[in-house]
Amino acid sequence: MTGNLLVFLGSALASAVEMVEALTIVLALGVTRGWRAPLQGAVAALVTLAVIVAVLGPALQAVPIALLRVVVGSLLLVFGLQWLRKAILRASGLKALHDEEEAFAEEVAAARAAGREVGGIDRYAFVISFKSTLLEGLEVAFIVITLGVNQGATVIAAAGAAVALLVVGALGALVRHPLSRVPENTLKFAVGVMLTSFGTFWAGEGVGIDWPGSDGALAFLIALTVVWSLAFARLLGRQAKAATA
Amino acid sequence: MRRAWDGIVDFVVGDDLWIAVAVAVLLGGAALVVHLGGEAWWVLPLGVPAALWISLQRARRSTRDAEGAS
Repeated sequence: MTGNLLVFLGSALASAVEMVEALTIVLALGVTRGWRAPLQGAVAALVTLAVIVAVLGPALQAVPIALLRVVVGSLLLVFGLQWLRKAILRASGLKALHDEEEAFAEEVAAARAAGREVGGIDRYAFVISFKSTLLEGLEVAFIVITLGVNQGATVIAAAGAAVALLVVGALGALVRHPLSRVPENTLKFAVGVMLTSFGTFWAGEGVGIDWPGSDGALAFLIALTVVWSLAFARLLGRQAKAATA
Repeated sequence: MRRAWDGIVDFVVGDDLWIAVAVAVLLGGAALVVHLGGEAWWVLPLGVPAALWISLQRARRSTRDAEGAS
């Protein structure tokens, strides 16, 4: 039960972060070049993604579980640590906060600068929307499939992503504006914690570690990761302040 | 082909190659401890934060060096 809830939350949070990034680009294109081509690009990317997932999902289930846990666990661990690294560097002031408002403005400027198609489809808007939705969507798909297959809860992981899609989509439709009010760094931090903890647990199981408390060790790993991540952010912030003083 | 490979490496490895190398070394170490019949559950909870801390310090130093150079 706890494992399934964690899979749901991990999947929903990770999906939300990626979707916000894709949505920012689609919204910028829609505002500047009209909604038709960006929406067509996004839908085409979602269809492509569905095909990839339909092929990839069953293929993953045929791989021996220990091998899958090592490969997927180590990938999740690397992803999680990269997310945590960025979030901690931003929280400590060593890296600029990712500004969706700024990203939106940059996309708008680029979209305005690009030539407009006369008649037919706006290829620029379609291709940019397709590429960004597909790339961010692939990351979502990877996380959902791996979380789901490892825990035997693919439907729950997919439900987490679907809820994230509904929430982020509804927000996007309401504001039609970059989702800058979504505290992206906090979300990234939370996702980093989840991916790092799941990755540690599964990769460990894959190489033969017998975790004390079995599945309960996952909750312990999450709590431990939260503690050391917050401590790192604080320590690094102090180091950065001391260096500038 | 080359661009596709670079894209995959960038997708998997991300900003800091050290993290991917450290994860591989830690998992190899844990597997070795298991193989030798020891308790290995402590390897990752200790090694993973240590690896990230080293990566953060590397990032801090490179930021400082870049600021010093400008």
